[in-house]
Amino acid sequence: MSQPVVDVRSLQVRFGRVDAVRGISFAVEAGAATALLGRNGAGKSTTMRVLAGVIAPTAGQVLVAGRDVATETLAVKRLTGYCPDVGGLVPRATPWEHLQLAARLRRLTDWEDTARDLLERFDLGAAAHRVTAGFSHGMGRRMSVVLAAFHAPAVLLLDEPFDGVDPLGVEATMEVIADARARGAAVLVSTHLRELAIDACQDAIVLRGGSAVAELSAAEMAGEAGAGVYRGLLD
Amino acid sequence: MWRPVADTGALLRFRAGMVRDGSRALALAGSAGLVLITVLAGWLPAYLPDGESRRTDVLSLLPSAMVGVFVVAAISAAASGGGRELLPREEAVAFPLSAVTDHLGALVMAPLNIAWLLQSWTLLGATAYVAGPTPRLLLSQVVVVTWLVTATALAQVVGWAFELLRRSRHGVWGSRIVLVAVGAAAVQLVATDRLVPLLQRSPTLHVTIASLRVRTEVTAGFFATVASLLAVTALAVAVGVALADVVSRRPARDELRLETAAQEPRRDPGSDLVAVMRTDRVGIWRSLPLRRGLLVLTVMPGGVAIAGDLPWQLLTILPGLVASGGALLFGVNSWCLDGRGALWRDSLPVGPELAFVARALVLVEVLLVATAGTVAMAAMRAGVPTAAELAAVSCGALVVVGQVVSASLRWSVRRPFAVDLRSARATPAPPLVMVAYSARLAVSTTLVGLGFSVLALVPWEWSVVVALPMLLLSAWRLSRTAAAWGDPVTRGRVVATVAS
Repeated sequence: MSQPVVDVRSLQVRFGRVDAVRGISFAVEAGAATALLGRNGAGKSTTMRVLAGVIAPTAGQVLVAGRDVATETLAVKRLTGYCPDVGGLVPRATPWEHLQLAARLRRLTDWEDTARDLLERFDLGAAAHRVTAGFSHGMGRRMSVVLAAFHAPAVLLLDEPFDGVDPLGVEATMEVIADARARGAAVLVSTHLRELAIDACQDAIVLRGGSAVAELSAAEMAGEAGAGVYRGLLD
Repeated sequence: MWRPVADTGALLRFRAGMVRDGSRALALAGSAGLVLITVLAGWLPAYLPDGESRRTDVLSLLPSAMVGVFVVAAISAAASGGGRELLPREEAVAFPLSAVTDHLGALVMAPLNIAWLLQSWTLLGATAYVAGPTPRLLLSQVVVVTWLVTATALAQVVGWAFELLRRSRHGVWGSRIVLVAVGAAAVQLVATDRLVPLLQRSPTLHVTIASLRVRTEVTAGFFATVASLLAVTALAVAVGVALADVVSRRPARDELRLETAAQEPRRDPGSDLVAVMRTDRVGIWRSLPLRRGLLVLTVMPGGVAIAGDLPWQLLTILPGLVASGGALLFGVNSWCLDGRGALWRDSLPVGPELAFVARALVLVEVLLVATAGTVAMAAMRAGVPTAAELAAVSCGALVVVGQVVSASLRWSVRRPFAVDLRSARATPAPPLVMVAYSARLAVSTTLVGLGFSVLALVPWEWSVVVALPMLLLSAWRLSRTAAAWGDPVTRGRVVATVAS
């Protein structure tokens, strides 16, 4: 059996007196997409932030392509592409300047055509040189997905990518996820939108109060029966 | 109770409730400290000894000092788009708050500004000194405090009126023309030696007379002055309400223009440091409030130096003022420049030390540019400096910039706040914290400025010798802060806070 690209073992994250994540374990294989589902405050975004190398784990081990996020943070950041749950854009910079910064720090060459293509796919071509402070919420979400996918990362981390996004934006995000899987990347999608999660992913992990309460296949989460199962896991 | 007053009270309680548990005692102590300083400033100087008609000299400056409070409050209100807000714009949209409440909130917040506080304490202290230890000192100070209220209300009217002009059809150019006209008038007054006579004829002369005459007898004039000031205040509040209402219906054209304009793409950066610094720089230079604030900070002290004909020996004070003011625009919460993009930026594969160095360099760069502008303005009237004077001003500027940058980044890492600096009315930290930061920066940079003013009298080498260890101290403090920033847990807390 191949080694998983994302390997989370007994992850714990504590903020002061609050346990945000209480011993979560899961793995995502190359070419697979897994959804993190759960209510607000379930620990989804914190888990994603740890995987992106933005927040340090309090305990447990998180490996990305065999690299420990706690000790090889920079290497992990090179391997991941992260769309944060809130904003994710520098207010006074333009989309093109975001891409320019990412290209420089990720050592990308001849990146302009890829950037233009992604901006067009997400209907952001016309806004490429406007500061993002004037963007609508949906435009900001779409741009965050573009930034996460731009360098074709080995691990694509999308935190609430569908939140407030129009149907065309959702379609473009689905394509990005499918493309990532097709080239062998591991994808993690955090959302509380069950239908979109099962469209995008083949597995789902349901979190509650910082703990994983179930690991299910997308098929088990589908339809009215799946909705009932999901509803039951949230309380 | 009038509803907007009740709403303002509710907003004040809401803001007070937002103070975190650990900071509540600190906030209470800070508030008590402000009240205590105000009481002492208005009382203790009465017991200072007179000497060689010093009281008469101070007396002659009182009317101008009263005008000074108004001018400082008006500039602050105009520069901050109508004054500070009790609740940030983004959060306020959820509540049915009227323009009246907004105006009352701006009035309540106006005194939480170190420039306003220093001017007011100076005025109270000067009045106490001139009045002497009389049993009716309290009545004298009643007149002064009433003037402070009146001046603040009038200044708020100026602030809203300027913002209204700015939001009118050709407001951007209109406001620039007004600024140039006011500047030219001020230069004309100074050049023709008419500023002092004009100040001596200001209505504040009557306020001064009323506040001092009450020492000997309580006449009808005392009550008439207080009543007149209260009537002007009431009128100013009413006009302010009307202006705030009109302003709230008009779009902020300059903000919208900047947010919808296309920015010319630039060539790819040549290094990681340049790339990171470029992103940091756009956060400052593409922010209208920051640009406006930096311009005011550069021009105002320079203008005062020209008007006051300050010699090079006293120009050593100016860099501290400019650097502190610049840091208070954003530097004391530096990471908030990234706003909600902070999480994404921290997910990029770049070491924390590079991000820290870039932020420090950009802060140094901005503060030095503003300081150089002020000194250049002041130098136009101060003439050609001696080597000692030039060394004292230059070394003093470098030292205060170092001090301010090291303190700002230390505070930025220790106490981050989530703020949206999109609005000209926003501050990088809550009001009481801003007062504390301002006071600490003002004290340390003024002391350094005074020190270098003495060094301007001795050979230039002394300035360099004194500056070197101070710069090294700042560098050492910066390296400690950089180490704290390098800690993933600390950095995660800062980034998550400013992005929230």
